[in-house]
Amino acid sequence: MSTKIIELGSHQLALEEPMYFRVQLEGDRVADLDVMPGQVHRGMEHLVMRRNLYQNITLLERLCSLCSNSHPSTFCAAVEDVAGIAIPERAEYLRAVADEIKRIASHLFCCAVQANVIGETTLFRRVMEIREIMQRAKEAIYGNRMDLAANVIGGVRYDLDADSAAYLAGRMEEMKKPLDELYLQYENNPAIMARTAGVGVLTREAAREWAVVGPVARACGIDYDVRKKSPYGAYDRLEFEVALQTAGDVRARNLVRLAEARQSVSLIEQCLDGLPAGPLCADTLPEIPAGEAIAKSEAPRGELMYYLRTDGSDFPVRLKWRVPSYMNWDALKVMLKGEPVANIPLIVNSIDPCIACTDR
Amino acid sequence: MSDRTSPASDNLPLPLSTRERGPETSPHPDPLPEGKGIVDAGGGRLYPDQFIHNVAAALAGAAGEQTEVAWRRDRKGVLTGWCRLPSGVALLPAARAVAELQGRLAMVTAYLPERAQEKGEREIAYHFDLDGATLTLTVILPLEWSRVPSLTPIFRNCDWQERELMELYDVQVVGHPDPRRLFLDHSLPHAPFERLVPYSTFTNAATSKALWDKVMAGAREDA
Repeated sequence: MSTKIIELGSHQLALEEPMYFRVQLEGDRVADLDVMPGQVHRGMEHLVMRRNLYQNITLLERLCSLCSNSHPSTFCAAVEDVAGIAIPERAEYLRAVADEIKRIASHLFCCAVQANVIGETTLFRRVMEIREIMQRAKEAIYGNRMDLAANVIGGVRYDLDADSAAYLAGRMEEMKKPLDELYLQYENNPAIMARTAGVGVLTREAAREWAVVGPVARACGIDYDVRKKSPYGAYDRLEFEVALQTAGDVRARNLVRLAEARQSVSLIEQCLDGLPAGPLCADTLPEIPAGEAIAKSEAPRGELMYYLRTDGSDFPVRLKWRVPSYMNWDALKVMLKGEPVANIPLIVNSIDPCIACTDR
Repeated sequence: MSDRTSPASDNLPLPLSTRERGPETSPHPDPLPEGKGIVDAGGGRLYPDQFIHNVAAALAGAAGEQTEVAWRRDRKGVLTGWCRLPSGVALLPAARAVAELQGRLAMVTAYLPERAQEKGEREIAYHFDLDGATLTLTVILPLEWSRVPSLTPIFRNCDWQERELMELYDVQVVGHPDPRRLFLDHSLPHAPFERLVPYSTFTNAATSKALWDKVMAGAREDA
């Protein structure tokens, strides 16, 4: 059998950001893979050490568009931990609302892109139309379709009054039926199943070995969700089930995402129903002392971790984060092994890859 | 409560070793029941003292009796453990002990701590997930000629973490299976986080055509 090495770029991989793969083929099947990141390395970890803690909230929101709320909220949680700041209960709920809105929009985007990759353009359009409800809700409430600018150290900088809460509740009602319908489509539509079931399989053992997180791990039956394992913000008072699948294939990953999007609707409704009265932000903030802290959250793609070290000044000594895509890339070696070349773009998109997050 | 004092934990000898622990066991000696059982009245997660004891015992057994873990519990009951290792020598046995406790490597942070030049020291923090709790092992290294053993043979996902650490800082990772650069272009100097490098040089911003040409040129070199 002939062995050949091919290079694939963003166009061939159906990615909107630059990432390059060097794929070793045996015949028309993938034998090995080398991921070449860093094509848009922005030196963000270099920049954050030259910005003060307040400026970094704005900078980190621009790290990634799809999980743009997870970065500043997790960073703020790290600063709050170092300084011993307890954020008001209302702010905890409002942070959860912002995170869950972003989660629905992010998961739907991933499912839409995959529909497009397999040529299901009608489904692609349908998913994007449903996602548009969330985009408009973000625009109405936060004034922006992607970056919400919802977080400050000590709380949030937006509020939901009776009108905006009612508006958001209306949009959530509007999402329920389409989300249920989409789940059934991705679960049972024969055309989609033919392309996604049994494709790009990651076994549970390999998932543990490659330490993947988020929907990629939960699709292999790994019951790990930071919102449950290390509760933060309002999540210790909200009810939801961890979405799990066992097949570890492209279909299972999408079913986890769609189940989570539906649960996010319920989480937002619970937040709106139980939204406590009170301030949005701690009134006076202490000086940020020297110290170190870890903060974690469940971003749309999985566990996001921040490490902050401070020296008593308002500049971080070190601010490091590890995004969920980081491990998922390398695990593509397992998912792609033995797959035909034609399946590469679909499988790559099924990990919901984020290059902006990975390269930083 | 009966679940947490199940007799299963009684026949678990310390220190732990792989022979005594199955590959799929939980880091908790007595796995906590899912759902309501793991949440206390204040909504926080409860970790049994046995868990803290087991981590301490495993690390002390591996990296020396003086190894201590300081645990902090946040308002939600989530634990973070902090342990400083006096030298790079203790890292490998300590990491093996964490692997035996079914820990997952979550992140590696290399950094120059405050007054690094004055003290002649640098630090690398290895953050592990132990079923929701985060354990950080910080190894203190000399500023010059820093060497640490690679943890990639123990934690496969340490591969990228160490490749990134090696290109950003002047640290040699001994025994890494694939020590190529990961993110940074070859035109950049080694260890840019320890040198003054202009930001525009550092990010090496380019058009997609230039990127593609570079990748193709790299492919020709490899051929």
